[in-house]
Amino acid sequence: MTATMHDVRPVGTRPTGRARAARRRSAKQKTLTAYAFLLPGLALFVALMVWPMVQALRMSLYHWNILPGAVSEFIAGDNYSRALHDPVFWRGFVNSAAYALMTVPTQMALGLLVAVALNRKVAGRTGWRTLYYLPVVTSWVVVSLVFKYLFNTDAGAVNWLLGVHIDWLGNRWPALVALSALGVWKGVGWSMLVFLAALQQVPRSLLEAAEVDGAGPARRFWHVTLPQLRAAMAFVTVMLVIGGFNVFISVFLMTGGGPAHQTETLLSYLYNQAFTFLDFGYGSAIAYLVTMLIFGLSLVQMKLFRYGEEDQ
Amino acid sequence: MRSHRLRAAVAATAAACLLATGCSGDSGSSGATGGTKTIEFWHAYNEAGPETKTLNEVVIPAFQKAHPDIKVKAVALPYDDLHQKLLTSAAGGTLPCLVRSDIIWVPELAKLGVLVPMDSQLADFEAIKNKVYPGPLETNKYNGKYYGVPLDTNTRVLMYNAKTLASVGVTAPPATFDDLRALAGKLKAAGKSMAFADNGTSGWNLLPWIWSAGGDMLSPDGTKASGYLNSAASVAGVQLLVDLYRDKQVPAIITGSQGGVETSQGLAQGTYATILDGPWMFPIFEKQFPDFKLQTAKVPAGPGGSISVVGGEDLVMTASCKQKQAAATFVEYMLSEEAQLAMAKVGQMPVLSTLGSQLTSVQSYYGIFAEQLRTARPRPPHPQYTKMEDILSTEVQKAFKGQQSVQAALDSAARQIDAIIAAG
Amino acid sequence: MKRALLYLGLALGALVTIGPFLVMLSTSFTGQSYVLQLPPRLFPEHPTWSNYSDVFGLDNFARYFLNSVLVAAGHVVLVLLLGSMMGYAFAHFDFPGKRLFFGLILGALMVPGVVLIVPQFLVARDLHMLDSRIGLVLFYVATQLAFITFLLRGFFASVPRELAEAMEVDGAGAWRVYRSLMLPLARPALGTAAIFSFLFSWDEFAWALTIINDPGKRTLPIAIALFQGQHSTAWGVVFAASTVAVVPVLVIFVIFQRLRGAGLPAGALKG
Repeated sequence: MTATMHDVRPVGTRPTGRARAARRRSAKQKTLTAYAFLLPGLALFVALMVWPMVQALRMSLYHWNILPGAVSEFIAGDNYSRALHDPVFWRGFVNSAAYALMTVPTQMALGLLVAVALNRKVAGRTGWRTLYYLPVVTSWVVVSLVFKYLFNTDAGAVNWLLGVHIDWLGNRWPALVALSALGVWKGVGWSMLVFLAALQQVPRSLLEAAEVDGAGPARRFWHVTLPQLRAAMAFVTVMLVIGGFNVFISVFLMTGGGPAHQTETLLSYLYNQAFTFLDFGYGSAIAYLVTMLIFGLSLVQMKLFRYGEEDQ
Repeated sequence: MRSHRLRAAVAATAAACLLATGCSGDSGSSGATGGTKTIEFWHAYNEAGPETKTLNEVVIPAFQKAHPDIKVKAVALPYDDLHQKLLTSAAGGTLPCLVRSDIIWVPELAKLGVLVPMDSQLADFEAIKNKVYPGPLETNKYNGKYYGVPLDTNTRVLMYNAKTLASVGVTAPPATFDDLRALAGKLKAAGKSMAFADNGTSGWNLLPWIWSAGGDMLSPDGTKASGYLNSAASVAGVQLLVDLYRDKQVPAIITGSQGGVETSQGLAQGTYATILDGPWMFPIFEKQFPDFKLQTAKVPAGPGGSISVVGGEDLVMTASCKQKQAAATFVEYMLSEEAQLAMAKVGQMPVLSTLGSQLTSVQSYYGIFAEQLRTARPRPPHPQYTKMEDILSTEVQKAFKGQQSVQAALDSAARQIDAIIAAG
Repeated sequence: MKRALLYLGLALGALVTIGPFLVMLSTSFTGQSYVLQLPPRLFPEHPTWSNYSDVFGLDNFARYFLNSVLVAAGHVVLVLLLGSMMGYAFAHFDFPGKRLFFGLILGALMVPGVVLIVPQFLVARDLHMLDSRIGLVLFYVATQLAFITFLLRGFFASVPRELAEAMEVDGAGAWRVYRSLMLPLARPALGTAAIFSFLFSWDEFAWALTIINDPGKRTLPIAIALFQGQHSTAWGVVFAASTVAVVPVLVIFVIFQRLRGAGLPAGALKG
């Protein structure tokens, strides 16, 4: 690596010629330099991310035999049509979508609420902010187990506080509510932080001008602040939707996709198919369907928000 | 100077990476170094109780004293994780030399082609064959070959909380289905505890009730589920549990809900009056609930008698094992009286028929298990058993939830299981 | 009045936020006979250290912790090095294939981690990286490289090109510009990236669960998840181990917060 860097250093250029040498440095050399910087990372990235992605496409077209060296049977699109006719796959899709629908707006609303509150003159602002951010930096494994404990049917704090006796983790929709509660609890701090940063970039002058024009706090928020948060909103929405469809650890640890595959999400189903039933081909087909879904959703959202137009 | 930082960064990375492997010390899984042969052995002896400790501190040291040239690297994996780890490692080519496998996984692993027949590996397989119980031995058979040797056996018996029973004036544990229904009626009236708890609807959970009711899962030759799994008797066995569940006398953990109090916890705390479980639970109860007095009885009898399910583990050797001879030596040791007795002290029931008479003097609780084992039956050995069980479990859970009748659930399960058998 | 309401709201939210942590903490001091009893107690009736002594009594617990530290350290160093080099290249150079490569990076941002786990498993098998901590580090780096590159590219792009050009006029090569100008300037962004990548590695579950067999190579999340058995979950022990895993992170994070506000992908908010 060091050797490559020597090549791009203008060895022995004299002070007098420096300026011209720098200007004259050929585009080719610049390109080589750029590649030198890219190479180590890109090589790793291609080998361990891009190549597996290609490999997955191939596997998804086979009845994949998992044993090393074994021959697999080519079955073209069978794994895909199997998924599209598999009720558990669709349940997983609906569950994932429901999770995203329950968590994304809630997290954004609560995050924005806390951000607006903390954007005022509040004593101990850093302290509050840190506190609200703590769940974000806490391990998913740990918080999943804590929530499993809290949502215990017979002796959990949630049922006790609500004065009810709900078998949260034993039924599909209550389980999704419990999983979403965890998702929101863990995620509010993150959207709060993004919104807080965005709020601090809203020019005071705009707000003051609006105040001079006689706009009340609600109007100012609605007509001045919110439009300024468009980029942050877009960013948060796209990331949270991806994150919503990404839900795995909490499902794996709180319900295991059960009972009777009722709470399976796309990723937990993928994982189970691959590693409990060793159906790598089918797992890969599901992986591709999930990836295309998330890509599609993200592109649509970016279009809707006209996000990233000034970028690049 | 210029690349100083780079070098520092690279060096730091290298150091971190080196450390990452270097600190493992024993990286090779089955290599021979300096004449010492290392064999890796995966098991799911529990760590909550003293099983793993006994293996590591008593059994293996004793073996290595006798065989200083063989090093056994025992790897403890949680039972719930082991099946998946075995399949994943079969795919990844990272299986160890020896595995202590649940008896129901052996046909599946044998069919995958990752095991070597044990009868061709041991110097004197016939001798071992003659000293172990035939039932556990047969669980190793696949396509006419023995792919392993039995290591321990067990069954489920009724465990009960005498205080909870006494709280509703019941002095003896339920001996029949009717007793259990009567107990449920009394507990329901008292409104504090539930009559029975179990944590799922797999074969392990359901079959004692199905068999005791006089039903079965497959035909005797193992080729058909229809007519057996959905017979009137099988339905009656499952119906008992579903009725109790509807009466809130069986908690929701039986439907696979993860949100309930576990069976052992509930039993010790008195919320569950009875559960079914195996001998390994005694040391666990002793450790986790020292104040609780665990008591046992036979599985409640139905029209078919009191019939429980045989559990246990087999020791199998993988095709990828590089030290097959050393591994075979360890296998033979694990079937010695010395090793079997050591594990018997912590709840692992021996498979040697010669030890039968001493069992209760090792641990008094073995009496009931030995008695129950006389009528206990094994789950059908089949390479696709895991899938069959998933079907059975899923369909019956729907019956618990009231989405279909027990009859419909078992009809549907039988149909799907027939299809699996037909597909081979 | 209004301010009182504001603080009341904030305090209520804070209570919900830290409540689960308190439950974890209090359960970790509760003996197994007393967990999951109603009403829940914030202060256990019979507090005990036994769960902690159980955790530290396990042969491997120190090892799990060390593994997590080592893997995280290797991951952070490597991903920051490679990510900053790539970010710099994307921000300051024009070259053939730039759009394609950057497109790949952006695309990877959207691929959920678990999606690639099956083919990655086979790649790791062929590279003999199953059941190895190197396998953890390299795949973590590959997984996070896109995000770190994206994040740092945003920062490098905000450094005026004139600064770099001035250095180049003085005869500095690209490496020197990167090392002596860009990296020092990017320190805050690197700090943020370091935190993100540390958390990622400390928390990662699915990949480690899948490839690690040897208990001696387990990281903390795997170890903690496996404490939770189906038949007899010792909740006190689970939460004692959790506390040991979580508290150092929280402490580091709080200190970091005091030093500077948690950063964000700078480029993300433009646009």
